[in-house]
Amino acid sequence: MSAALRALPAVFSLGLQQQLAYRWNYFLRSVFSALPLLVSWVFWGAVFRERATVGNYTLAGILTYYAVLLVVEAVCQPSDDDFQISREIREGMLNPILLRPLPYGLYRAALFAAGRSAYLLAALVPVSFSLFLVSRAMDLDLARLSLGHGVPALLGAALLQFSLTLCLSLCSFWLLDVSALIFLVYALEFLAGGHVFPLDLLPPPLFAVVRLLPFAYEYWFPAAALCGNLSEGAWKAGLCLQYGWAFFFMVLAHFIWKAGLRRFTAAGG
Amino acid sequence: MQLLRLWLLQLRYAATRELMFRANFFVWVAVELAWFVIQLAFIGVIYHHVEEVAGWRRNEMIVLVTTNQLVIQIFTAFLMPGLSKLPELVRTGKLDFVLVKPAPPAFLISTSHLEIGPLANGGIAVAMLVAAVGGLGLHPSWGEMAWYLALVFAGLLVHYAVLMTLVSLSFWIIQAESVLLGYYTLFQVARIPREAASGWFRVVFTFAIPLLLVANVPAASLIRGGQPGPTALFLLSGLLAAVFSTAFFLFGLRRYQSASS
Repeated sequence: MSAALRALPAVFSLGLQQQLAYRWNYFLRSVFSALPLLVSWVFWGAVFRERATVGNYTLAGILTYYAVLLVVEAVCQPSDDDFQISREIREGMLNPILLRPLPYGLYRAALFAAGRSAYLLAALVPVSFSLFLVSRAMDLDLARLSLGHGVPALLGAALLQFSLTLCLSLCSFWLLDVSALIFLVYALEFLAGGHVFPLDLLPPPLFAVVRLLPFAYEYWFPAAALCGNLSEGAWKAGLCLQYGWAFFFMVLAHFIWKAGLRRFTAAGG
Repeated sequence: MQLLRLWLLQLRYAATRELMFRANFFVWVAVELAWFVIQLAFIGVIYHHVEEVAGWRRNEMIVLVTTNQLVIQIFTAFLMPGLSKLPELVRTGKLDFVLVKPAPPAFLISTSHLEIGPLANGGIAVAMLVAAVGGLGLHPSWGEMAWYLALVFAGLLVHYAVLMTLVSLSFWIIQAESVLLGYYTLFQVARIPREAASGWFRVVFTFAIPLLLVANVPAASLIRGGQPGPTALFLLSGLLAAVFSTAFFLFGLRRYQSASS
C-alpha cells in the first residue's frame, strides 16, 4: 500500500501532462464554461426587473450563487474521466494498469485530482473576466462568502462526484456504451443538483425531497455553503449526508469493480 | 437536384445504420427528453415565483422554449451528428475519404449521419408547443403555421453556421472536442426572451451571432403575428452566418495536410 501511495505523485504528474497536452482545447473549454454566468445575468436581470426578491434571493444573491457554481464546477466536476474509464475497460487498455501494484480507484483519483488542478488554472482567467463583467454591472454578495463552510463542502462534492462517476463508468464491464447512462445522470445532476436554479427556489415539499438525494450535494450544497446561505445546523446535517453519499458510492464502486473484474477478459497487449 | 438525391441516399444509409441499434434509440430519446424536462422545470420554478419575464407569460415562454427545442432536435437529427465528427476526421486523417468524393465536402460531412431519436423528441416538442399555443387561446392559420416552419428552418441555418465555424477550428487545434461544449453553451442564449437582453449582449447576439433571434422570431411570429423588422434581420443574418461559416471551413481546409504517407 505504501508503494502505491508513493506512486501517486507520479500518476498525478502524468495526469497533469495529459491534460495540458491539448492546451487550446482546454482553454476553449474554460472560456465557454464562463458563458452560462453571463446568460444567467441577462435572464435573471429580466426576472428581477420589477421585483426586489424571488424566494429568498436578491439579484445580487442569485448571481453570486451562479458565480460560485462556476468555482464548484471547476473544482469538483469530472471532465472526461467517465469516458476515459469506459474506454480503458472496453478497449483493453485496462490490462497494463491491472499489472501495476496500484489500486485502480486510487489511480483514477490521482488522475481526477490532476485534471481538476489543471482545469482550475485554465479556468481562472475566463471565470475571473466574466466575474469582473458581472461585478461591474452590480455588487455581488461577496461579503457573505464563507470559506469555513465552503471548503469542506467543496471537498465532499469532489469526492461525491468522483465516486458517482466511477460507479457509472464501471458499468462498461456490462454495457457496450455507457454514454447514454452518463448523460441521463448528468441531466439529473443538473436539475436535482441545483445547477439550473438554486434548489431552495423549489416549492418546500419538493425541496425537502431533493435534499435527501445525492445530487443536491454535488452542486447546490457546496455553492450554498460557500455563499454563506446555510445555517450552522443545516451545514452540519448537509455535510453528514454529503460524505455519507460519497462513502456509499465509493463502497458501491468497489463492489462493481470486483464484480466487473470477474467478467473482464484481458486480451492482447 | 443531384445534391438532393445524394442527401436522400446518405439519409437512407444513415437510417439503416441507426436502426441496427434499436435499444440505443430509446435510451437516447430518454436522455434528450430529460434535458427538455429540465428546461420546462426551470420555467415551472420561475413562474412559481413571478407572473412574467420581460413581458413573456408562462405559456408564451413555453412556446419560446419548445420552438428552441424543435430547432435543436431537427438540427441534432440531420446535421449535427455529421458536423460533430469533423474534429475526429481531421485528427485521424479520415477526412481524406471525404475529399476524394465528387461532391462539396461541407455538404458530405454535414449530411453523413442521421440520428432518429431527436425526431421523436421533436414530436414531443411539437405536442408541448400545440398545448401552449392552445393555452394562449391562439388559432394560427395554415399560412401562419407555414411561415413559422419557414422561420424554424431559418433557425437551422444559424445552428449550422455556429457549429460549422466551431468545428472548423479543428484545422488549427489538434483536439477540438471542447468546441461541442461551446456549441451547447452558446445556444443557452437562444432560450432567453430577446426583450430580456440589453446593451452589448443584445447587440452581439443579434447582429454578430444571431442566437437571440433563432427561437424568438418564430415564437413571436406565432404569438404576436409577423414582425417584419426582426424577421428580415433574422433571415439576412442567418444567411450571412451560413456563408461565413462555409467560407471559414474552406479556409481551414487549406491547412489540412492529410494523413497519407
